[in-house]
Amino acid sequence: MRRRRALFAVGLCGVAIVAIVVLAVVLSENVVYFRTVSEAVNRRAADGNARFRIAGKVVRGSLHDTAHGVDFELTDGKATARIAHRGGQPALFKEGVPVVCEGHWGSGAVFDSDRILVRHGNDYSPPKVPDHQVRSGTQNAMAAADAVP
Amino acid sequence: MKAQLGVLALAIGASAAVLGICTLGYGLYRHDDRLLRTGRRYVLFVLLAAVLAVGAMEWALISHDFSLKYVANNNARGTPLLFTITGLWAALEGSILLWALVLGGYLAFTVWKFRERATDPLVAWATIVGLAIALFFFALMLGPAQPFEKVARVPFDGRGPNALLQNHPLMAFHPPMLYLGYVGFTIPFSFAVAALITGRFGEGWLADVRRTTLVAWGFLSIGIILGAWWSYEVLGWGGFWAWDPVENASLLPWLTATAFIHSVIVQERRGMLRVWNLSLVIATFCLTILGTFLTRSGVINSVHSFTESAIGPWLLVFLGICAAVGIGLIAWRADRLRAPGRIDSPWSRESAFLVNNLLFAGFALVVLVGTVYPLLAEALQNRRLSVGEPYFDRMTEPIGVALLFFMAAAPALPWRATSGRVLRDRLLIPAWAGGLAMVLAVVLGADGFVEVLTFGLAAFALAGIVRQFVLGARAQRRTASVPIAAATVRTVRGNPRLYGGLVVHVGIVLVAVAIAASGAYSTKRDVRLSRNQSATVAGYTVTYLGSERTRSAQKQTVKARVRVEHDGSDLGIYAPAISIFPNTTDGIGTPSVRTGLVRDVYLTLVSSPNERGRVTIGVAINPMVVWLWIGGGVIALGVAIALIPTLRRRVVVPVVAEEAPAGAEPAAPRESGPPREPEPVGA
Repeated sequence: MRRRRALFAVGLCGVAIVAIVVLAVVLSENVVYFRTVSEAVNRRAADGNARFRIAGKVVRGSLHDTAHGVDFELTDGKATARIAHRGGQPALFKEGVPVVCEGHWGSGAVFDSDRILVRHGNDYSPPKVPDHQVRSGTQNAMAAADAVP
Repeated sequence: MKAQLGVLALAIGASAAVLGICTLGYGLYRHDDRLLRTGRRYVLFVLLAAVLAVGAMEWALISHDFSLKYVANNNARGTPLLFTITGLWAALEGSILLWALVLGGYLAFTVWKFRERATDPLVAWATIVGLAIALFFFALMLGPAQPFEKVARVPFDGRGPNALLQNHPLMAFHPPMLYLGYVGFTIPFSFAVAALITGRFGEGWLADVRRTTLVAWGFLSIGIILGAWWSYEVLGWGGFWAWDPVENASLLPWLTATAFIHSVIVQERRGMLRVWNLSLVIATFCLTILGTFLTRSGVINSVHSFTESAIGPWLLVFLGICAAVGIGLIAWRADRLRAPGRIDSPWSRESAFLVNNLLFAGFALVVLVGTVYPLLAEALQNRRLSVGEPYFDRMTEPIGVALLFFMAAAPALPWRATSGRVLRDRLLIPAWAGGLAMVLAVVLGADGFVEVLTFGLAAFALAGIVRQFVLGARAQRRTASVPIAAATVRTVRGNPRLYGGLVVHVGIVLVAVAIAASGAYSTKRDVRLSRNQSATVAGYTVTYLGSERTRSAQKQTVKARVRVEHDGSDLGIYAPAISIFPNTTDGIGTPSVRTGLVRDVYLTLVSSPNERGRVTIGVAINPMVVWLWIGGGVIALGVAIALIPTLRRRVVVPVVAEEAPAGAEPAAPRESGPPREPEPVGA
């Protein structure tokens, strides 16, 4: 009886350890980092093909429709990146608004995005957000409500 | 006037809580029954104070009294009455008021329910804990989250509620339901703490809070599903669950509470799992506070956190105190908490419950880690990141499937031990049903291992539940020849807890099928259409017929008229819209959903007509989504059944060997476990 209980305890610990390892691995595989445009540009070589989110403002006059979505430039005031987005855009997406794109660096220094999040109701969320925070705003600053294309 | 009334009410509430705590505490110290009887009456004042404060706030909202900052920020002259009333829970301060009201209601009900046992130290301690929690929330409203703060200069018009929160009538139901669930867990927590303090952690306190826990669980389940529905009907991205931190915040206590509801049965039956049950209750309560912290403190910016507020640290400290008290008390009582019972066989109901509990705990851990990891990474390492949905999907999928399996199999397992023959007798038909459903699903074109498995397990579970009902009704008919319907009613009334639980399981099956089907087989596309132009998505042809603008005091709306056709038949004209509210520059979409039993056609107006009159319309075909809402209704029905008071059995049903449905061993003397409740506990 004692032996059985000991075996059971060891087995349970084993299962728990395996479960925690799996959890850690899956978690680390699915962490999506959040970078401003200048951070992303600086880390382009290091990031390679890894997925992350890039935050900035859509440069006015840079937005074009393409066959699969839109093409535009994103800036944080210090650096600018070209974004090729495939898929739909949220209702609030337009030039001049702060957005976050999720994707990875593609060929020719273009960021391939497949998801755009638009910050919701600027006059609602924390009233006085300094502009630099809007640009580098955390992903948390993206409303749950934001359209996921 | 309203502000003074409100502040006065809050002050009364806080003082009543303090006085109640002191009176009860002193009464316990002096063993003075008179003080204990007096002390509990302060709960009534807490409730009255909360009613008064909420009344003052509603009065201010309805009379558009913009001298109150809260009203000025969350109401406007043009706001319709419904959303004026729901303004109470449209922002932080008001929702804390609602919290206090609900808590006052639960406390008053508990005190009333135990009016005969007012001098019982367990009840007195539980009341003290409940009052202390109420005191905390009243203190919040007198300190960092003042609902009755005045503005310096009264504006002519207010800003109106957050645009997203005045766009759908579900707003009137989702938050109150969620609060009725969240706050209800205060009662089991109070009794758990009281049981630990008084040293009476047998099974008595569990029986005392059984119904309240079930009520809270039911409301929380409904609240979560209504939240998903709101998200589906308002946010317009075509889905209902995105593993958003605020969604996770509501799911976390639900997971631990669900585990608790099941493991309670094991403790009642076999006296086992005492520490586990206490831990689950404490964890559930702490997770409701954590959820409030996540959604209300502004640490996560979303539709649920409207402004940054100072209550974050307060909630964190309160969470720390609650967790420390709970863990400390368990550690202090550790030597006396050893359970008398033990698991005899791995093939028994209790071990199935144990596995189910471990799975629920694992599920909660996965969600918790994914939710707080970004916060910890930012706080500790200053790294900004998010945890992608694939993490949640990949981790919770196998756990969910395993839970579905145990949900189907466990009710068929007898307590203590079983033989292969019993198992075969009870599970053979359900297993066939499950296998058949899987074949049928594949024939009908379902692919994906997890999805097909889910459909199979769903049929397995349903067949098992139907079998239990049929056997129960048959046994009834054997003793008294009554029609089938009457026999079923008698069966249910004989053991409402068991059969109510099984009905809840039916609801969960429906929800699981809806999640699997809509997650795997949805189609979504954005189409750009000029007037009278058509596009076809997954066999559905949508034609853009034109658009119209309307204007009201509340909002301006652009509605697109879209004809939907399928297989040559006209399904009617739908009108997805975008509304602009005066308080924001952004458009708020209103999807138009054609709900069907098999699939929904979900239309959104992605962009209103441009200069050339072209619109972008999002078309999504989402299978089986409606079963999610139906499942929610079934869950509510099951909870209601489980709350029916048990009739004392007059007819002694003979124990039918083997064929007796699991758990319906009515007159059989129980082999173990101290007798506590008059009813046979069987689920």
